[in-house]
Amino acid sequence: MRGFREVGWVIAVAGTTLGCYMVNLRVASERAALDEVSNRIVLAQRDIRVLQTEIGTRGRLEQLESWNVRVLALSAPQAHQFLEGEFQLATLAAPQKQLDPSAPMVLAAAPAQPKAVVGGAEQGAEQEGRAARDLLQVASLKRELPASADEKAVDKAGQAGAKPVKAEAKPATPAAADKKIVPERKDKAAATPAGAAVAATKAKAKPKAASPTTSTKDSKARQ
Amino acid sequence: MNAPTPALVARPERLRLVGQRRQFLGIMHQRLMVGMLLFGLVIAAVLLRLIWLGLFGDHAGRQVGPSALLPTRGDIVDRDGKPLARTIDSWTVALQPAKVIGDKRVLAANLSRLMPEKDAAGWLAEINSGKTFIYLRRRAAPRLVQALNALGEPGIALSREPDRLYPQTDLAAHILGHTDIDGRGASGMERAFDDHLTDAATRGEPLVLSISGRIQQALEHELLSAKTRFNAIGAAGVLLDIRTGEILAMTSLPQLNPNIAGNMDPEAQFNRATLGVYEMGSTFKTFTVAMALDTGDVKGMGQMYPCYDRLALPGGRVITDTHPFGRACSVAEIMMESSNIGTALIAAKVGGERQRQFLKQMGFLDRVPFQLPERSRPLSLKAPWGEADTMTIGFGHAMAVTPLHLASGYATLYNGGVYRKPTLVKVDARHPAAPGRRVFSEQTSYKMRSLLRLVVTKGTGKKADAVGYRVGGKTGTAEKPLPGGGYSKTDNITSFAGVFPMDEPRYAMVVMLDAPRATAETYGWRTAGWNAAPTFGRVVARIAPMLGMRPDLKRDANMGEVLPYVREEK
Repeated sequence: MRGFREVGWVIAVAGTTLGCYMVNLRVASERAALDEVSNRIVLAQRDIRVLQTEIGTRGRLEQLESWNVRVLALSAPQAHQFLEGEFQLATLAAPQKQLDPSAPMVLAAAPAQPKAVVGGAEQGAEQEGRAARDLLQVASLKRELPASADEKAVDKAGQAGAKPVKAEAKPATPAAADKKIVPERKDKAAATPAGAAVAATKAKAKPKAASPTTSTKDSKARQ
Repeated sequence: MNAPTPALVARPERLRLVGQRRQFLGIMHQRLMVGMLLFGLVIAAVLLRLIWLGLFGDHAGRQVGPSALLPTRGDIVDRDGKPLARTIDSWTVALQPAKVIGDKRVLAANLSRLMPEKDAAGWLAEINSGKTFIYLRRRAAPRLVQALNALGEPGIALSREPDRLYPQTDLAAHILGHTDIDGRGASGMERAFDDHLTDAATRGEPLVLSISGRIQQALEHELLSAKTRFNAIGAAGVLLDIRTGEILAMTSLPQLNPNIAGNMDPEAQFNRATLGVYEMGSTFKTFTVAMALDTGDVKGMGQMYPCYDRLALPGGRVITDTHPFGRACSVAEIMMESSNIGTALIAAKVGGERQRQFLKQMGFLDRVPFQLPERSRPLSLKAPWGEADTMTIGFGHAMAVTPLHLASGYATLYNGGVYRKPTLVKVDARHPAAPGRRVFSEQTSYKMRSLLRLVVTKGTGKKADAVGYRVGGKTGTAEKPLPGGGYSKTDNITSFAGVFPMDEPRYAMVVMLDAPRATAETYGWRTAGWNAAPTFGRVVARIAPMLGMRPDLKRDANMGEVLPYVREEK
């Protein structure tokens, strides 16, 4: 029994050593695999570098320049092509103001004095004044409007357009009462300068311009 | 009684032999033991070493570590990180005639088919020349390598060698320089930073230059088109950031391809921007006026000088003006019309010694202290110089500097009056800007702005005006010196030195053309106002947006300081 103890020790030590060696071997193989991955990364990086160099060489600035000279002919922007900011950019994209001949005419600014009304508009003078005032209030946004304020304003604008107020209105021509004058009216309307004292307001609701009288007045007001 | 005296008795022979034998045995045992111990120690050492290696040693299969990407020579990149010089592995094909086993005639025929620079007889002569090693092609294309490999001739050796490649070819070639066949820097930044680029500790990080590839390309292209248009033999351009002294672009024409630098024409290898020294002519007048403003000899832009048709210098030489006034003229007018007479009179007021001091402070009497090895010492007279020389230097003759000197001088004058060494390495946290030394006062620097702008708005440099970028600058036309002495009547060096934007100077640039010809476009003129100035304007219009500047038609230098002193001709 005493002799076996020594053998046991030898076996134990040998086993432990072998175990340690196995662990070590395992670690070494893992480390080798890791190195292999690192190597592959390095090789991939090297390939990337080579490809980048090739792309950079093929797309070198001199080459791009010669393409530009021969084909594209792009040039540096001129001073007037630079903009000050968003507002200047917005002005470039602003739609051109186009007059709609079917839109009613309203005064852009001060409400018309009832006294100044001429022609057959006396009966609607009071109403006209109110309509203009309402418009001004809408424009200034100083007070709360009723829910249907927009529609109301438009309606009134329509009425105002239907019965325009203009001091220098020329006398109506009899032929103007005919519906055939519509294209002519359009031409005249287009000829009106955009920045004139009168402005056309687009109305969703068509003005009550069905009657020949109102249409005559309308056409006169536009002249 | 007396005891017998012991007689000399010898030990019996047998006994003596036994004693000796024992002694020998002892010694032998001892020696054997020592030998065994030695062997044991060696074996133990080997075992211990094996165990040590087993436990802590490197894996035997390990070949390439993570540092394998470290290039054999560091990259050079521009300030935006675009690679300008890289080392890649390229194919090298060589022939070892002793190892050729096939028919040499067939091999020579195949070689002449693949590499037609020599015919079959030529290749055969090469193979039979008795050399042991012949380079067939360095930096060979993969297709050629594949074809040569397919020949199956063991005498053909294929190998990969590190090779320096300049991907942008001609771009900034004179700045980059090139390497020799052994991969050592031979010129330019390659030579200046050879240790940095090859040292294992530093070559992993690229060398970042101050130049910008896009700006460099724009400058090179515009100069090349000007050179072609005016049929000049060469051109140079330098762009400096006047606050830091960084060289943002610098070029010299004819173009140089650093990939084949050794095979290029010497004319192309010559760097006109830093090696060529030229009399810069009227571009010097700006400095003369600035010196006089700084010393107080010129009190204001309205100070009058007698600019009549001719002026006799003390030595008897007579100078005239290209735009003669024929009357007294103000300092503003002298600059505007580039009057030699007026500038000579101002220079005489400043005096030779003070002029020399200023030139010394601006670095005009020494080599430009910057990285490139290729730089020339300016040509100047020996001090002290006389009054006639002072006047001559005053309008830009009798002294020759490089275009880089001139750009550096303008940078000094317009950055507030502080001289800073130019640099080709990007200024950042690791490389701070060089400390400056004051040359001109801030007031002088400020006053000179409107004067220089006046030259472009109303004077000789109108064609340099890039709309919206507030260019200020001065034209300079100097006759080219002839090799045998004297000056050419037909060849000029025309230059334009300028600064922009003039209301808040940021960049100084010099554009120079060597011997431009008159064309129909210039109405027969060869002066700088007709060739260098428009080139300058075109370059500014192109590079200013790249530099982050936006044109502004509402801003300008304070022209109210000079316009009252300019007579409006009717």
